[in-house]
Amino acid sequence: MADAKLVIVKVKRQTGPKEPARWEEFSLKWRPSMNVIICLRDIAENPVTRDGKKTTPISYDSNCLEEICGSCAMLINGKARMACSALVDQLEQPIRIEPLSKFPLVRDLTVDRQFMFESLKRVKAWIPIDGTYDLGEGPRVSPETQEQGYPLSNCISCGSCLEVCPQVNEHSQFMGAAIISQVRLFNLHPTGAMNKNERLAALMGPGGIQDCANAQNCVHACPKNIPLTESIAAVNREVWKQALLGWLVG
Amino acid sequence: MSATETQPDSSYLLRKLHSFTGILPVGAFLAEHFWSNSAALVSRAKYDATSEELQTIPFRLLVEWGAIFLPMLFHGGYGIYIWIKGKSNVSAYPWVGNWLYTTQRYTGLIAFAYIAWHLYTERWLTHGKSTYENVAQDMQNPWYLAFFVIGVLASSFHLGVGIWNFACKWGLAATVKAQQAAGRFGALVGVTFGVVGVLIILSFRFDWHPFSAYLPNK
Repeated sequence: MADAKLVIVKVKRQTGPKEPARWEEFSLKWRPSMNVIICLRDIAENPVTRDGKKTTPISYDSNCLEEICGSCAMLINGKARMACSALVDQLEQPIRIEPLSKFPLVRDLTVDRQFMFESLKRVKAWIPIDGTYDLGEGPRVSPETQEQGYPLSNCISCGSCLEVCPQVNEHSQFMGAAIISQVRLFNLHPTGAMNKNERLAALMGPGGIQDCANAQNCVHACPKNIPLTESIAAVNREVWKQALLGWLVG
Repeated sequence: MSATETQPDSSYLLRKLHSFTGILPVGAFLAEHFWSNSAALVSRAKYDATSEELQTIPFRLLVEWGAIFLPMLFHGGYGIYIWIKGKSNVSAYPWVGNWLYTTQRYTGLIAFAYIAWHLYTERWLTHGKSTYENVAQDMQNPWYLAFFVIGVLASSFHLGVGIWNFACKWGLAATVKAQQAAGRFGALVGVTFGVVGVLIILSFRFDWHPFSAYLPNK
């Protein structure tokens, strides 16, 4: 049994936003198809560090475990990715796990991504279909538009694109690629397009699309392979037409 | 929608202006500058004639300040502000675009410092009447020569990447394929400008005029 395979995991821990950070190392029993979430669960089951010290379970967000809810984004070996799809067998050990660095820390690996939801509200990332009476059927959406919109609708607001963006940092309010791509999605939809100019106006405001500097990291980091750089370019064109020519052509 | 909501905050317009001035007039002036200076590749006399032509344009100061100096100052100054507001992470994410993001900042600063020096020595000290002889003499200093080469390459690189950025940021290239094509075009411009710029420098340094055969036989 001496050669039972082990997995060494190092986790950056912090009991609160103002508490000092520390690293704890864990030695876990290897299992087939093990991912980083399983590692964190195993630690919760038996919260003892590699050198035998008793500790507390690690705080982290996760839900669906199939890369569809967007809650378990974290830094794994220094890179932003979803913990549920990060397979231990494909990672260099010791596996270093840290919280996302661009969002306020809550505890351990849990961060507060409220900023993204506030940004989604600013750009009105929804289609208004509620009224005090039946609004009837909406306009038909061509299959071509549906095909364009579908990949954009896969966004899970995980925050990976913001995490890797050099323009998102403590000096900037940049809303990031995910939000811009959502503007494109909702402006594509014929009913959503009724609020098109409001969304574009929000993207000219503080932290708007002008803060993109075309490093294009977002598109590499996106776990859902959303064509974020295409979205940014397409929305950029709409925004400047509205900003610079709006007073001429309405 | 209220009227205030449509008012873009000034950072949008300033960013757009920064992007635009990089191509027009700054990038266009670089093209004009290399075009005019390549007269040195033909002969000293052609260079001096071309220089004189430019040095005697009407409303010269107005053109220089309005179309060259002020746009460059704005592009460079606001560029530094943009640099300070960003936070490079190329060591964690060494993707090509991220490398270009970082090098675009350094080459911009090098180009800005070089252009300031170049203006001081070849525009200010010569009272705007620089000749082939002035430039050729400056080039005899090896430090000056090295600064010239670095400055020309940094400016060419910065313009090449800038063309790609411009195409993406104005949505002129809005698909992956179009952005790749814009990138190739930017690379072509950057390499062409770099090569031509270095050839012009060599022409001054070694009194070398490869196109002198174009001149009518005497």
